[in-house]
Amino acid sequence: MNLRRLRTLVRREVQATLRDPFTLTILVTVPIVGLMLFGFVLATDVNHLALGLYDGARSMASRRLVADLAASGTFDVVPYDSSAAVGGGLVSGAISVGVVIPADFDDDVHRAGGAEPPTVQVLYDGGEAPLAGNAEAFVKALVGAGAPALGDEAPDPRGAVPRAAPEHGVGVVTRAVFNSRLEGKPFMVAGTFGFVLSFLTTLITAVSIVNEKLTGTFEQLQVTPATSLEILLGKVLPLGAVFAFDVMLMMLVAGLVLGVWPQGSIPLFIVVSTFYVMISLALGLIFSATSASAAEAVQKTVVFSIPLVQLSGFIFPIRNMPQGVQWVANLLPATHYIEVSRAIYLRGEGPLSMLPNFVMLLLFGIGLVRFALRAIEARA
Amino acid sequence: MSGWHSFCSNVGAVAYKEAAVIRHDKAFLSMVFIQPWIMFSLFGFVLSNRPANVPWGVLEQSHSSLSRRIVQELQATGYFLPPERVTSYEDAHERLRTGELLAVLVLPQSLARDAERGGARLQLLLDGSDPLSAARIGAYVSQVAAAFEPRIAPDGVKDPDRLIRTAGRIDLRQRFWFNPTLADRNFFLAVLGGMLLTNLCLSGTSLGLVGEREAGTYEQMLASPTRPIEIVLGKLVPFVPIAYAVMLFSLVLPGVVFGLWPKGNVFALLLTTLPFVLASLAIGVFVSTVTSTSAQAVFISVFFILPSFVISGVMMPYQFMPPGVQQVGGAFPLRWYQIALRRIILRGGGLAETAIPTLAMLLIFAGLLALIRWRMKPRLA
Repeated sequence: MNLRRLRTLVRREVQATLRDPFTLTILVTVPIVGLMLFGFVLATDVNHLALGLYDGARSMASRRLVADLAASGTFDVVPYDSSAAVGGGLVSGAISVGVVIPADFDDDVHRAGGAEPPTVQVLYDGGEAPLAGNAEAFVKALVGAGAPALGDEAPDPRGAVPRAAPEHGVGVVTRAVFNSRLEGKPFMVAGTFGFVLSFLTTLITAVSIVNEKLTGTFEQLQVTPATSLEILLGKVLPLGAVFAFDVMLMMLVAGLVLGVWPQGSIPLFIVVSTFYVMISLALGLIFSATSASAAEAVQKTVVFSIPLVQLSGFIFPIRNMPQGVQWVANLLPATHYIEVSRAIYLRGEGPLSMLPNFVMLLLFGIGLVRFALRAIEARA
Repeated sequence: MSGWHSFCSNVGAVAYKEAAVIRHDKAFLSMVFIQPWIMFSLFGFVLSNRPANVPWGVLEQSHSSLSRRIVQELQATGYFLPPERVTSYEDAHERLRTGELLAVLVLPQSLARDAERGGARLQLLLDGSDPLSAARIGAYVSQVAAAFEPRIAPDGVKDPDRLIRTAGRIDLRQRFWFNPTLADRNFFLAVLGGMLLTNLCLSGTSLGLVGEREAGTYEQMLASPTRPIEIVLGKLVPFVPIAYAVMLFSLVLPGVVFGLWPKGNVFALLLTTLPFVLASLAIGVFVSTVTSTSAQAVFISVFFILPSFVISGVMMPYQFMPPGVQQVGGAFPLRWYQIALRRIILRGGGLAETAIPTLAMLLIFAGLLALIRWRMKPRLA
């Protein structure tokens, strides 16, 4: 390896990148827009969900129940004239939850000590499965609390996880550590690092080599005395520096705009991220160097990027996948990086317990670099 | 009248040429054939929000038969792995921090005594770094515990206390319509067509136009007596039948494999697909007017497609998102299409239920056409 040659290659790449306004814009906007979009979309608390209500009893007790449902801010109560109309509202998607209070609701409430408790029918829109799951928990907490409306202590319906009334069964007091209000932002911010650093890097290198192949400069590069390791480093080092800058930019935006700062060691996070960037860049090199044409490289990336992002645990926990798929997911470097970034960002974990992830990343790094070197050579 | 005639024949000619190009584009065709299978298996078999294999621990301070029964009942829900033994609060915190455990159930010393009196309480520590799973696990544990009967058997002694409590209780008769088991699979597979069409339309057209500009054939077409808008429309036409074929595929596959056939009006479904396909194609065209190489076009498409899946509510309900983000999502045709798809396929809706989404997509399409005309003009000079 010749340092002077390497320096020339690096300078060439830096100039090429700086001269291309499109790449520069992408490098700055994608991380920021990604953070803003993903940071806000995930939420675990239900707010202002439309709840259709048919009150067949129209009594004191039923009105009290309606008021309880409306007061929490979780549901916006929409009155309906009949239980059939509530069903229609669910079909049209106007409401997500339907509550039907039967005409004999009040009689039952007043039958003190009666064998049958008063009945309320609750219909959920299962079409939006995740929404229905959360709404169910809230309705249970609110209506379960409706009984104490006749005099007991009122439980706090605004907690992220509703508590069951302790009178029947066993009560549970939940406490979420690391993120006590169960906000979605930190979870998504840490994952967005993985998303941006995996796909922006792969695409940027793929695109840069594809462009060089189109203009024929890649062939020229291969006939120079530069070794394939120098070509690889000449591509990876400048882009790696750019992405290290991106990592810091994203940390600042996440902290200042979304209020999410890393709980753990910031230098450790930057070091791990930079190393991960190098791995992804090598992956991008392989993608483009093994493609016969520009179009092929580009289609490859499009077809594979979306399943890859789904399997890496960015949105859907890997734990929930079938066993065989979990093994596949563990073979993706992105999976390990996202795990590490969540551990550092959310739980403030030290380097020791993340050792397995580091080892995996290191193995990937060695393997991918060797493969990338071979891919560059093969074309020469 | 002759203007209309030449318009149609020009569009037809460009469409014919474009269809011939597509037929020979192996990379594009393989994408059209492979992608539906990948997406179908991902959303049909792999991805789910429902907690599974949850690693959890038990901090046992009560050592009673009661605590063993609670652990057994939680275990019976099927969401959890066998519990780990946790020795202290410090141990619990440490193992949550390393991510080894996702939840720790604390069974307090006074559990058995409290249960005798009524009003027993457990503590559940959750790893909040995964908020969705944490919230769901919290809800599951609360439900199991709430249904739990601490007294082992009523020994014939009348418990006046308990009678009064039962009287105050309201019995909830719950039903989940359209999806009784709350399977995430139905939630996702209903919008499979929307995801596939987004990929197809966007990458197809954005690459098509830029590719022509790179190859220099775009200038040749401009030199012919076709107007730019005719070229654009002609390029869009061949994608419409392909899109419908993919759409039908995405309806039949979940139907055959999981029995998830559309419950509502299939005609309304086909009708509402058209404005969505047109709007998505128009986005692709717009991307191609703002980029100069096919690599750039792909770039923008990829970074448009994934966020649009998230923000339009395909992967998680848009009702969860904060107000500003919800409105931004309304600008995406996919938002309205997924609403229409879920209404028809899952809830059995028809023309009346899909009228508003259809109109919204037509509006977006019209807006995009205006944008495209405005972007294309300077390039003719």
